[in-house]
Amino acid sequence: MDTQNNTLPHKSYAKNNALSLPVNIFLLAVRSLTTLLRTPEALLPPVAISIFFLVIYQSTLGKAADFIPGIGGSYLGFILPLSIVSGSLSGSGIAAQNLVRDIERGYFDKLLLTPVRRSALLLAPILAGAVILGIQSTIVVSVGLLLGLTPATGFLGLLVVIGLGVLLGLGFAGFTVSAALGSGSAAATQGASFLFFPLTFLAPTFVPMSLLSGWLEIAAKVNPITYVLQAMRALLNTGWDVKAIATSILACLILAIIMYALAAFALRVRTRRN
Amino acid sequence: MKDSEILVENLIKTYPGKVDAIKGINFQVAAGKIFGFLGPNGAGKSTTIKILTTLALPTSGRAWVGGFDVIGQAPEVRRVAGVALQDIGIDPLMKSMELLVLQARLFGASKADATMRAHELLELVNLSEAANRKVGTYSGGMRRRLDLAMALVHQPKILFLDEPTTGLDPASRRDVWREVRRLNREMGITIFLTTQYLEEADELADTVAIIVDGKIATEGAPAKLKSQIGQESINLVFESSEIAQQALNTLEKMGNRIQLDRDTVRLYLSEAAGSIPSVVNILQNAGLSPISLTLTQPTLDDVFLQVTGQRLVAPEGLGSKNLRSLRQLEGS
Repeated sequence: MDTQNNTLPHKSYAKNNALSLPVNIFLLAVRSLTTLLRTPEALLPPVAISIFFLVIYQSTLGKAADFIPGIGGSYLGFILPLSIVSGSLSGSGIAAQNLVRDIERGYFDKLLLTPVRRSALLLAPILAGAVILGIQSTIVVSVGLLLGLTPATGFLGLLVVIGLGVLLGLGFAGFTVSAALGSGSAAATQGASFLFFPLTFLAPTFVPMSLLSGWLEIAAKVNPITYVLQAMRALLNTGWDVKAIATSILACLILAIIMYALAAFALRVRTRRN
Repeated sequence: MKDSEILVENLIKTYPGKVDAIKGINFQVAAGKIFGFLGPNGAGKSTTIKILTTLALPTSGRAWVGGFDVIGQAPEVRRVAGVALQDIGIDPLMKSMELLVLQARLFGASKADATMRAHELLELVNLSEAANRKVGTYSGGMRRRLDLAMALVHQPKILFLDEPTTGLDPASRRDVWREVRRLNREMGITIFLTTQYLEEADELADTVAIIVDGKIATEGAPAKLKSQIGQESINLVFESSEIAQQALNTLEKMGNRIQLDRDTVRLYLSEAAGSIPSVVNILQNAGLSPISLTLTQPTLDDVFLQVTGQRLVAPEGLGSKNLRSLRQLEGS
């Protein structure tokens, strides 16, 4: 081994450390994104599946707009939100998978040995997951455009659609991240992601809300996905519906508050010294 | 406490379900020294290191690292202590350069300083050429060296190494030893190291504490410990264990202590070398002739045997003569 140049400058960085939370989050989020982009095999399937269903729904049910009342425009504009939402749900597990990988590999402990802000350990992978979700939603929307989608609210409306998709995904990410922190196991985290799958169908998934009744109507009413779907559909098919957009944002926020309270608790348990 | 970089008082750790991991240990480590914490698997070494590095809390007792209380001043402890845990916590998808820069930045270095520091450390642990390769492609030895570099990003005064060479081949092991010695001698870093290898403790440590079953069995400089139990021995190997048994009976009154291990008789004497002629003489008169006769200095292994009544078995062979043909330590 090289024996020269072994005196290191004795300047301690540690003393003047007062990194702000945003810098902590930024540093760790960049690192999460780096590793995520190095595993494209984990990122591509959710997009591929979303696109696959989009094409299938459009080809098999594309004519449904003619006989299902209340679709209010093209069937593509009606069904594309479903693809985005299901992409958001499967993508909401990305942050958690990233986190659980770090826990299993011991890198999480290594980070705990630095002065890093504990909340950054939670928020950074979620931010990285949100970036990925945004990219995934953009791809799905682009495929929609290729299939002939003409959004009623134009380019700006598409951005809101993507934004809503990300917001919904972030809310659910709070849950999967809680599972990751709580269990520290990749399998359990994977399992937690599957819990959302049925939620996609307890909503006005294939037909408008007006056609739902009974228990399904009640379930759909408390399901935040319902409001996100409705806002997206309005944006794509009928035009700016401020009330629908506000309601969907509110629904996502309520979901996020509950999920992040859970995540914050799980983080405290995980980082507690015992 | 003023002169000790590490001070541990009556430390006890009981895990839920009443498993006593450590049962009231005391020790101190002087600044600039290498302290070897030696013991079999499950003796309490990792628990101790987790408490000292703020990853775990003791059930009772107190400890200070660099003058800071590990319970109440965890952030300060993290700033003066560098830690390389037994499970190397690095992300295989990252490159070593990226990991080091991030680690330095989390300790508050600017991007430029962090980059400079990463270059220095990669040079120090001889990984400069692999700086931009994903860590997943590294060998075990390279990962250990990277882990060591990561523990050093913030210029710690005290370095904790939890079994730094477990699972390494002999060549990588010697590389790590060389690094550890260099960090201690040239940079004055106080080092607390746990190990299951007697040879490693003997090689590196100024002071060794032997921990068995959550308690410190003995503590001191390796040379002092060896001289305490203190005797050289004459080892005689015979053709069969029956003949060895006869030799044992014949020689019983000669040494301070005598041991039989299958075909080998070990005779502990204060003046072993000078006693060889008379030992040979006695054996010849009894019609017994050994097929080999060797003289050994006491080893830490003998110390371990003396204080615990058992031999320490390392997880995989070191190829060391000290560790050959040792029996599995019971209950480890």
